[in-house]
Amino acid sequence: MKNILAILIIFLLFSSCNKLDELNQNIKDPATVPGESLFTGAQLAVANGITTPNVNRNNFRLYVQYWTETTYTDESNYDITSRPIPGNFWNILYRDVLMNLKESAKVLAETGTLPGDAPAVLTNKLAIVEVMTVYGYSVLVETFGNVPYTQALDPDILLPAYDDGLTIYKDLITRLNKAILDMDQAQASFGSADNMYHGNVAQWYKFANSLKLRMGMVLADADNALAATTVAEAADKVIMSNADNALFWYISSQPNNNPVNENLVKSGRNDFVGANTFIDVMNDLADPRLEFYFTTAGDPPVYVGGEYGASNDFSQFSHVAPALTEAEYPAIFFDLAEVEFLLAEGAERGFVGGTAAEHYNNAITASIEAYGGTADTIAAYLADPKVAYATATGTWQQKIGMQKWIALYNRGFDAWTSYRILDFPVLVAPPDAVSVLPLRLTYPIAEQTLNGANRAAAGAAIGGDDVGTKLFFDKN
Amino acid sequence: MRKFTMILALLFFVGLQGVLAQSRDISGVVTSSEDNTPIPGVTVQVKGTTLGTATDVDGKYSLSVPDKYKVIIFSYVGMKPFEMTLGESNTVNISMETNVLYMNEVVVTALGIPREKKSLGYATQEVSGADVNMVKQDNFVNSLQGQIAGLNITTNTNMGGSANVLMRGNKSLTGDNQALFIIDGVPVNNDITNSRAQEQAGTGYDYGNAASDINPEDIESINVLKGSAASALYGSRAANGVIMITTKKGKKTLGTKRSGLGVTFNTSASIGFVDRKTFVDYQDQYGAGYGAYYYGPGDFWYERYINPDGTITVDPTYEGQPSSLWVVTSEDASYGAPFDGRPVYQWDAVDPQSPNYLKTTPWQNAANDPVEFFEKPLTFTNTLSIENAFKNGNYRLSYTNFTQNGLLPNSKLEKNSVMLNGTWNVNDWLTVQGYGNYSINNAKGRNSTGYNDNIMGSMRQWWQTNVDILQQKDMYDLTKRNVTWNYSDPSDAVPIYWDNPYWTRYQNYETDNRNRFIGNVSGTAKITEWLNIFGRFSVDTYSELQEERRAVGSVAGTFGIGTGPDGSLTRPDAESGYMRRDIRYSEYNYDLMANFNKNLSNSFNLKGILGMNIRKTNYSRLISATSGGLSVPELYSLQNSKGPLPLSKELASEVKVLGMYASVSLGFKNYLYLDGTIRRDQSSTLPKDNNAYPYPSVAASFIFSQLTPNAKWLSFGKVRLNYAEVGNSPGFDQLIDNYLILSPINSLTTAVPTTQKNPDLKPENTKSVEGGLEMYFLGRRLGFDLALYNTTTVNQILPLPVSTSTGYNIKIINAGEIKNSGVELALNATPVKTKNFQWNVALNWAANKNEVVSLLDGVDNLQLGRFQGGVTINAMVGQPYGVIYGTDYIYHDASGEKVIDPANGQYLKTSTSDNVIGNVNPDWTGGFMNTFTFKNWSLGFLIDFQKGGDIFSLDLYYGLATGLYEETAYTNDLGNPVRDPITYNTPGDPTSGYASNSGGFVNEGVNPDGNVNTTRIAAANYGAFGYRRGLPNKAFVYDASFVKLRHISLSYNIPAKALAKTFITGITITAVASNVWIMFKNLPHADPESGLGAGNLQGYSTGSLPTTRDFSLNLRFTF
Repeated sequence: MKNILAILIIFLLFSSCNKLDELNQNIKDPATVPGESLFTGAQLAVANGITTPNVNRNNFRLYVQYWTETTYTDESNYDITSRPIPGNFWNILYRDVLMNLKESAKVLAETGTLPGDAPAVLTNKLAIVEVMTVYGYSVLVETFGNVPYTQALDPDILLPAYDDGLTIYKDLITRLNKAILDMDQAQASFGSADNMYHGNVAQWYKFANSLKLRMGMVLADADNALAATTVAEAADKVIMSNADNALFWYISSQPNNNPVNENLVKSGRNDFVGANTFIDVMNDLADPRLEFYFTTAGDPPVYVGGEYGASNDFSQFSHVAPALTEAEYPAIFFDLAEVEFLLAEGAERGFVGGTAAEHYNNAITASIEAYGGTADTIAAYLADPKVAYATATGTWQQKIGMQKWIALYNRGFDAWTSYRILDFPVLVAPPDAVSVLPLRLTYPIAEQTLNGANRAAAGAAIGGDDVGTKLFFDKN
Repeated sequence: MRKFTMILALLFFVGLQGVLAQSRDISGVVTSSEDNTPIPGVTVQVKGTTLGTATDVDGKYSLSVPDKYKVIIFSYVGMKPFEMTLGESNTVNISMETNVLYMNEVVVTALGIPREKKSLGYATQEVSGADVNMVKQDNFVNSLQGQIAGLNITTNTNMGGSANVLMRGNKSLTGDNQALFIIDGVPVNNDITNSRAQEQAGTGYDYGNAASDINPEDIESINVLKGSAASALYGSRAANGVIMITTKKGKKTLGTKRSGLGVTFNTSASIGFVDRKTFVDYQDQYGAGYGAYYYGPGDFWYERYINPDGTITVDPTYEGQPSSLWVVTSEDASYGAPFDGRPVYQWDAVDPQSPNYLKTTPWQNAANDPVEFFEKPLTFTNTLSIENAFKNGNYRLSYTNFTQNGLLPNSKLEKNSVMLNGTWNVNDWLTVQGYGNYSINNAKGRNSTGYNDNIMGSMRQWWQTNVDILQQKDMYDLTKRNVTWNYSDPSDAVPIYWDNPYWTRYQNYETDNRNRFIGNVSGTAKITEWLNIFGRFSVDTYSELQEERRAVGSVAGTFGIGTGPDGSLTRPDAESGYMRRDIRYSEYNYDLMANFNKNLSNSFNLKGILGMNIRKTNYSRLISATSGGLSVPELYSLQNSKGPLPLSKELASEVKVLGMYASVSLGFKNYLYLDGTIRRDQSSTLPKDNNAYPYPSVAASFIFSQLTPNAKWLSFGKVRLNYAEVGNSPGFDQLIDNYLILSPINSLTTAVPTTQKNPDLKPENTKSVEGGLEMYFLGRRLGFDLALYNTTTVNQILPLPVSTSTGYNIKIINAGEIKNSGVELALNATPVKTKNFQWNVALNWAANKNEVVSLLDGVDNLQLGRFQGGVTINAMVGQPYGVIYGTDYIYHDASGEKVIDPANGQYLKTSTSDNVIGNVNPDWTGGFMNTFTFKNWSLGFLIDFQKGGDIFSLDLYYGLATGLYEETAYTNDLGNPVRDPITYNTPGDPTSGYASNSGGFVNEGVNPDGNVNTTRIAAANYGAFGYRRGLPNKAFVYDASFVKLRHISLSYNIPAKALAKTFITGITITAVASNVWIMFKNLPHADPESGLGAGNLQGYSTGSLPTTRDFSLNLRFTF
């Protein structure tokens, strides 16, 4: 009897329990999502990446000396390794932006045209994803030089090779041309999933062409012929009004508030003041944008910047203007002022029609208007001999460089790229700097250990993995 | 599984029908033939049954013997077993002989199977419950420190914090390396629920490891199974060794009139004092500031205006107000003005409620430095237990209350635990057993760990030496507001980086609570003389709530839910908030085993097991938090969120493993044993078509001393050898990718996860070879146990960090090999043994050599963690697991000296951060125990030690830069304060040589040309010492070696005679001093054991609590 019982128990136990693999399912996270939602995520990531003043990720506002630090001055002095700054910026672009764009395109294509949509809507979405992809890669190439491209974003290739920066850049222009051709401005696209243009394809078309204009101008010294055709093709299809500016709209609640709000207001910290290098120039010009850029300090109240790179007492210097630190203040990808400055450069190089002075004036006007300056102040400013194109100091690079620097305030990355191409304004490294003023970011420390041979080859190919190495577009 | 419980119930009822037979009570005393002293703890058993008891402290026993049985067996370690056939008398007194030839010590092995230790082909080591219970601690695991060769326990100073339990080194590159805890055969969850951010020194709390719920008062003994061969039957989870805990069972107490009912009451109180050697020694000459770049004399001050209405402004709003000197309140460093008694306005002049409101106070070093912040932790432990044994079984019921007021203000740990276990011999073929333990653990105010938002981080790295900590306390007590020393500005009285520390403790405290039940029921049915069937159902389940608070008015810091999978990454900043984590865990085990034991002939014995195990684990976690702050102050609830509630993070996992196993042991003439086991697991976490994996083990032992019975000097000698493989399956959900849902911005916002999973995973496999030699001499007065092992883990399931240009952070792969080889030695000696006095010595020593043999092809480094300060902890091919990477010095080719740039006197450092600058693994560890007993007195002490192992100190990295430590304000080689400016013989002309009144210091090293460096470095500004530009990471890596006098104990048993006329049968008084003396260490200002918490990331110290010396008094009454 007892033996039978024992056998019975064993039998019963062994006969239970099947369908084992069904347990191993993540029932809390989605297995499929719409491609649109991945685009939303990627767009948010890239807006945060280029906008944040978080010292761990993005210090371009310091490199171009718009701001300087108060107590903890490491980043103002170009320490980019105590915190893994290049790695963080790189991760945002590859992992959070480009990978999600790639996945978005894949899912959108697999899903196909949605019921009730014209086929062109899907084509538009894919074209917009492509434009953002080109934008993301352009930032990567302009930051690092050679980067993984043809072998990137493929988890089956764990050691992706780095491609030549100029070759990538040319391919990006080809891809951008294709995307521009694909756009059907009469049809819809992402709608509310797009926090920039809310799906307005006509505006995306202008942004794509503005990006093309800039990429063409970036190549001016590296490949003049390609630059000329690219700029000429784009010149009449670009952003024509401040209403078409490429702005990414944040919302008031964390974590999707503007990162400037997060780091300057919500953090409760007093890390940044305006830099003397920048504010001195604006004071000298009595620039009408000062009140929109900075607060005053002292008695009587004046605009005064902290000494760049040195320790500065927060209470004694101008702070970032409160309007720019609002939670819902948008990220700026592109604006009319930048377009007009690029056209001014294009005119100087003979790529586009019109005079440089005309575009220059348009650019300054667009900039001051966008910040809320009046027509009278604009007219007075443009009449100032230190501002007027005919009488301002220096070469065209210096004239445009100086005013473009002022107009690109709060857009550290774009200002940094412009500075590297035009070589103006003249910026001087502070006495305690740990390196020269960065002309590129070094490859991430993680690449040393995770993709060492390819990184080393890329470093050698660009002339040394150093912040002082000039990239292919930075000839002077 | 319902079927199985039904069967158990059936077994139970079948048993009830057994007829209770007639029996008689036998009692007596067992003494030693050597000196006629009574022997406590002798097992007394009715032959042919499971009925039995043990002798008490006076060697007395009482046993009920059914009439049909005539023989009782007495057995005891080191004694010859004695069989007694019962006669007429009901009193049986026997005298046992010392057995120098046999060692019949029985130990509990895998699956709870008792085995004679001599027959084992693998290493085990035991610790008694009394040893782990001597020092009453918040985590009993800490008590194992130094007690077991090869078991490396790293504790930290966090209140209720986790202990890292590592057996024979790290075997898994990124998986769990913690040893498995088993109570009476039931695996006990030992999860560490700390967040990934906390492990990497981000903001967080150390919530401890779940094994700390085990109540040491209930532990009878602990047996540690060290190698895979010992634990192979447990399957995949036991690759890291097993800590087997046997709980106390009910025994009959003699000498009372209460039918053997035993009552024990134990009470203990302890108090702790900070060991100053583990805290900061502050410099006392300079106060707040980062250097000379403000205003006023020396540029060390804020210039502010006090208006007639009492407001303070930066600008003289009221014309003609004289400016006044204010301390630079916003600066969290002590690189400011020298203390000269000058009257200045300090932080306490800002708040209208302050007694010093708008008054100056002398500029001087604080009367009370932050060490005064610590309280004296008080711990009370009370245990009441009752127990008894009857004819047909036994029971024990115990209740323990543990209360600890922590080192920090407003911190408290409380544990209540009830345990009941019992055995019922239902009839002559069926025995049922049950065990249940319910515990309630409450904690309040655990210390924040890591870099951010940690008061200790402030005191060790960011502090003003002019701030009197007790004044901060007075201000908090007076105002109940956040009146901090660290105002954004005297004119803007909000905190900037640090709150008043008392505000943090009393307002921003966390609480957590864990209710847990661990239990099992089992039945053993004896089918024939040589076969029995054993079935067991066991459960371990808990629910835990962790709540974190930040009060309105605090410094903004990262708080709430971030984007990472566990909600801890890139959290937004908030000045207030509430966050909760709800965790539910349950594990069920169903075991069924057939045991057989048969003598095949006079020489051969065959034992075997055939069994199966079903394990089911459910884990779920919900993290929710407010966003954008709290609307109503002091109301901590989700609906009080200012902003819309962010997405909660939810996780639910279910894992099931089906195991089948068999084992055979063949014994030949009691001196040659051969064991073999095989287990096959089928896991729900592996791909469907490839989810089963078998693994074998084989072990042999040979008691060579049996061959030389006449060698009197050799009491016992055994060699053993084994080989084992253990498979391991991946964790939950490692196969299929899912998307992440992010906080929506106007519409659904998603992302590709940062980890790419792998649908083709295979199980990991650990292979080990172990050999050992165990010898006892001179009647067991001297002995040793030596073990040598080599363990290799291959096919590791590895979250491999990859270049993010692949689109991912991590890819899950099967790759990599880690090798551990080592030596363990346990030495035991009794140098003196007389009738009244005995001296026992035990020494444990172990060395483990660890090497990462390979990773993936083309990949030679695996980054395990990344830390503030730019250092990483890595597994690098060819190196031990856990090397610290960072920047290093440049060394001179010829001399090997550190190279210094003659232009500025600073060390040159590498431009890359992938230099190996440390290794977290100790070279060797051990413990040295001494016990002296004299009559009723017993004195013991334990010294434990670690040689080698490196630790990176973020405290010194920052704290030297900010000028807190005494090392930043000394008299230099010229006899001047080091912080004085550098001066030259001809002012302004460096070529004229340094003047005799020059400050600054000269780094030791050579210039690139090989000449000794003579360039001075100015130390007048922040950053001359510490992290900033001068020093590589290597400068902050310290040797973590230590020698500690871990505890001394003195106990006294009040003689039974003295208590004869009372109702009390015994009183033991024990006094213990623990962590008494750090006899040696190289890490300044901190305990080298003070890491962040348990886990694979060790070797990093930031903002840890100091160590306390604890003194306790324990009284044990038996009734």
